[in-house]
Amino acid sequence: MPKLIKSEINVEGRITEEYAVVDGDELAAWGENEELAIVGQPAPRIDGAAKTTGEARFSYDVQLPGMLYAKVLRSPHPNARVLRVDASRAEQLPGVVVVLTHETAPDIKVREGKLPLLPEDARFAGELVAAVAATDPDIAADALALIEVEYETLPFITDFTLALEGSAPKVRPNGNVVSQPSVTERGDLKAGLAVADVRVELTVRTPTAVHNALETHGCVAAWEGDQLTMYESSQHVYGVRTFAAKKLGLPVSKVRAIGTYMGGGFGAKFPGQPYSMVAATLAKRSRRPVHLMYDREGENLESGYRGASVQHVKLGAKRDGSLTAIELDGLTECGSYANWVVSLGGPYAMMYTCPNVKLTTTGVHTNIGPFQAFRAPGFVEGMVGLEQGMDLLAEKLGMDPLELRRRNLAKLDQSEDKPFSSFPVEECYRRGAEAIGWNKRKPTNDQSRSSERLRRGTGMASQIWWGGGGPPAYAEVQLNGDGTATVLTGAQDLGTGARTIFAQVAAEELGLELGSVGVTIGDTYAGPFGPASGGSVTTGSMTPAVRSAANDLRVQLCSIVAQLEDVPEEELEVRGGTVYRRDTPVSSVKSIMRKLGDVMLIGKGSRGPNPSDVSVVTSGAQFAEVEVDTVTGRVRVIKIVAAHDSGRIVNPQTFTSQIQGGIIQGLGLALTEQRVIDHRAGQILNPNLEWYKLPTVADIPEIVNLLIDIPDTKANSLGSKGAGEPGIIPTAAAIANAVANALGVRIFELPITPARVLEALETIA
Amino acid sequence: MKNFTHIDAQSIEHTIPLLDYYARPLAGGTDLIPLMREGVWQPDRLVNLKPLADLHFLREAGDGLHIGALTTLDELDRSPLVRERYQALAEAAHSAASPQLRNMATLGGNLLQQVRCWYYRGPFNCWMKGGDHCPARSGENEHHAVFDQSPCVAVYPSDPPAALITLDASIRIVGPDGARSVKVADFLAPPDELHRVMHGLGLNELITEIVVPHTTARSLYLKAMDRAVWAYALVSVAVAGEVANGTITNPRIVLGAVANVPVRLGAVEALIDGQLLTDELIKEAGTMATHGMEPLAHNHYKLPLARNLVRQALRDLTGQRM
Ligand SMILES: Cc1cc2nc3c(=O)[nH]c(=O)nc-3n(C[C@H](O)[C@H](O)[C@H](O)COP(=O)(O)OP(=O)(O)OC[C@H]3O[C@@H](n4cnc5c(N)ncnc54)[C@H](O)[C@@H]3O)c2cc1C
Ligand code: SF4
Repeated sequence: MPKLIKSEINVEGRITEEYAVVDGDELAAWGENEELAIVGQPAPRIDGAAKTTGEARFSYDVQLPGMLYAKVLRSPHPNARVLRVDASRAEQLPGVVVVLTHETAPDIKVREGKLPLLPEDARFAGELVAAVAATDPDIAADALALIEVEYETLPFITDFTLALEGSAPKVRPNGNVVSQPSVTERGDLKAGLAVADVRVELTVRTPTAVHNALETHGCVAAWEGDQLTMYESSQHVYGVRTFAAKKLGLPVSKVRAIGTYMGGGFGAKFPGQPYSMVAATLAKRSRRPVHLMYDREGENLESGYRGASVQHVKLGAKRDGSLTAIELDGLTECGSYANWVVSLGGPYAMMYTCPNVKLTTTGVHTNIGPFQAFRAPGFVEGMVGLEQGMDLLAEKLGMDPLELRRRNLAKLDQSEDKPFSSFPVEECYRRGAEAIGWNKRKPTNDQSRSSERLRRGTGMASQIWWGGGGPPAYAEVQLNGDGTATVLTGAQDLGTGARTIFAQVAAEELGLELGSVGVTIGDTYAGPFGPASGGSVTTGSMTPAVRSAANDLRVQLCSIVAQLEDVPEEELEVRGGTVYRRDTPVSSVKSIMRKLGDVMLIGKGSRGPNPSDVSVVTSGAQFAEVEVDTVTGRVRVIKIVAAHDSGRIVNPQTFTSQIQGGIIQGLGLALTEQRVIDHRAGQILNPNLEWYKLPTVADIPEIVNLLIDIPDTKANSLGSKGAGEPGIIPTAAAIANAVANALGVRIFELPITPARVLEALETIA
Repeated sequence: MKNFTHIDAQSIEHTIPLLDYYARPLAGGTDLIPLMREGVWQPDRLVNLKPLADLHFLREAGDGLHIGALTTLDELDRSPLVRERYQALAEAAHSAASPQLRNMATLGGNLLQQVRCWYYRGPFNCWMKGGDHCPARSGENEHHAVFDQSPCVAVYPSDPPAALITLDASIRIVGPDGARSVKVADFLAPPDELHRVMHGLGLNELITEIVVPHTTARSLYLKAMDRAVWAYALVSVAVAGEVANGTITNPRIVLGAVANVPVRLGAVEALIDGQLLTDELIKEAGTMATHGMEPLAHNHYKLPLARNLVRQALRDLTGQRM
């Protein structure tokens, strides 16, 4: 019987409590010594060939008969009122079918659930002012140039570090502080600082980092009568359906959302952004499908970023290293719109044991496009502050930085006073330290007087994050007439390999070969509800649902075979595509299904409830070795060793890809990536990949990913947790610590560019 | 992007009369097409030079190396001849852009590359684009010049020309009045009020070839970037000289990405010419390299960088390892 429960939903650290309906009788978790044939084995992506040959169809690739192409007109001003829009010349351009302006846009509220689709108040350079659908993308672009807009330009502020000064122009009527600052407090901070034997104080800055997913934001909207199909590059296909139905006043049953393949999201592609409603409206008015995909500039101006941060940090500790106080006073850049504020304090609150803590994060509005969650929002930035503080503390105490961390590791979830279900950070430290050769690390102060051109340094940082997932999440598995199975779910694969591990879990539970299991994913008309892929939850939420559905199907299969062959059901078992009675083969699944003709067996499953007595987190550490060229100032990362606990590793190959991807993005934040704004003009100077510098293949070091692979049997029936975010969380902090170790001087502002290294070297020369 | 017509050139002679402000020659298109997309340039007509085989060659003659204007950076990088005798040029070509771009980018087009200044390439009507002031001078200028040569503080962006100057190369140009030859060092010049480009090519002229005189000098090119590859130089240096027993003669040193044009360091050359390159002298040369530099608010780092690169280049040239 289904059971109704309340469950915490954690999307990128934003926690809400919601209802979920789960299976009454949950499967027992696969144990640590469970003999599994497919789960836990490396398997190449089942969609790898489709992607490498270009057969995989992304939203961008969707082509429908009669389809129009849309382009958007963006405000050139950082803050302006749209006084008048004259689209008549654009409308007359041959090939233009519909032009949408604030005067002709439907009454659909988008940003923050209350702002108009095409606002009259354009609060950042790049805000949507109008949109055109035409028979050809070049015609649409030409039409934009024919739209005349009269603006009243208004004072603006784009520098978040100055936006809280009294004289700063107000971005929003209520001022530039986003709602209330988020504060985490326990114990008595003052007292904790007072009893400390050693204190350190530091100010750390992290830059604005743009997701720059390879596939830009966008969708294709197509109506058939009163039914809408949205092909959207989204992290939540079911959310696209809910959003579109709600905003357009359609019954949910009339909306189909499809996101079969996706070129990356990293947190910036949750549903609810204006462009999808612009596309749906243009499609409705033109009665033709509309393709609206952003260009790289649109991606950089409007589609989100990790806000820059400033963190003032104080740490206090006893002579033996035990922390007595942690204080964080942090600012985070939010841009013009925000529903929430990232918590820079997360890692400070969770990673280490400390009785006296006060962590404040203030979100700041500016006249720049809105931020979006970006792979472990707040935690990546927070670790940069916390872990540099820990290294400074270790230096002051004359203690090995790793030892200091060992002594302070959290023993339980201090916010909820609950033990962790699993928290094998010691093991990650031990194996990581061994792999990097931590015992050969030179003390930091030794190197500032070195005359070597190339200086090497080693540093590390810890990781904590959620990632256990939870209900509601559903899957179905069908057994076909030829003995193959199909997994169906409305969950999506952002490019992480989710599709592949769903097949592995179903094959394992069903006793089929991996090659006999297909997966249909990312289509609300094909599979049941799957959760948003954010917060590293897809594995932890979905694989137990898939297993549960496959188990349901297996039970049905055994029952059918028992009836067919007149054997006792409890003695049947499926392995390698064959049904056995004890150890004797009865029949292959294939021949049984052939016999049954058009019969289809359908298994259904859902994700069970989360445990209530333990807190489920992912944890780990990374170790970085760098080489700094004192002639050019460039930092080269030589090696990163990663050791992360994500519970049971379903597929070491896709798991390692996730960790590598996180490390590469973390390396970008540490060394090369930063948005540059001319604050006098309120303009972003590098909304492109020429001056927004992503790491290239040549910048990527040797990455050693250690498989910790300890099933978290209390977390869910797979014992698996996510890996999307853990990999990025400690990277920048570890690199910053390694650079400080190499140079004997610390650079407190990321990215650590040649300019900053050279300037730092001049100060000690 | 504005509509335009595209025609194939038939010969150099046929092409010259076609050219004017509204009709531009097209080589690899790696700079021209993006400028047209951004609306910085809006020609009505492109004359495609690629069919002109007589602009596409790389050969050694009695007087030196002749490089047709359509020779790609990739061809320069891969040529054993260039790699062996004109190392600085091969290294500079190799350091530029990405493999895909080097396959398309020609040396002729590279000499004429417009500034990469992010104001120029963005929504600013700056001085270089015909406006009346330079927002970079007091703005975000970490990639800009440390020598004040004109109202514009953008740096000349191309790598190979600095190497060409150390190798004393010339450019052959054909125009309505026939052919002329000019040293690369003279061809590149800071912009002025009436002439807001960094080179001296007329609107109805074509670059036909680049000639590098024979040399027995060793040369090399060092480029500092803020990532491993595919970035413009933060600062670069090209050096050439004859080295025997640690003594250098006829040195030529050119800094890139510090001014509107590559900057030849005559005083440093004079300091070391005929001298034994001791560690001390190399240090002094590096220090002298920064004389006269006036950094803007965000590019102070270019001074230690130029100093370090000059020292490193001299050490590398004389085979000294630090
Ligand atoms: C992302 C990116 C990164 C880059 N990085 C670097 C770098 O690190 N270092 C570097 O040096 N360069 C770099 N470049 C620039 C690249 O090298 C130049 O764009 C290229 O060399 C230009 O050659 P082209 O043949 O494509 O010229 P085109 O774009 O075809 O032409 C450029 C200009 O030259 C004119 N022209 C071309 N040939 C002739 C001729 N024979 N006679 C008269 N006029 C002519 C054209 O009319 C146009 O005005 C980069 C470019 C890009 C896009
Ligand atoms: S440096 Fe030159 S190109 Fe850049 S903004 Fe100033 S004038 Fe324009």
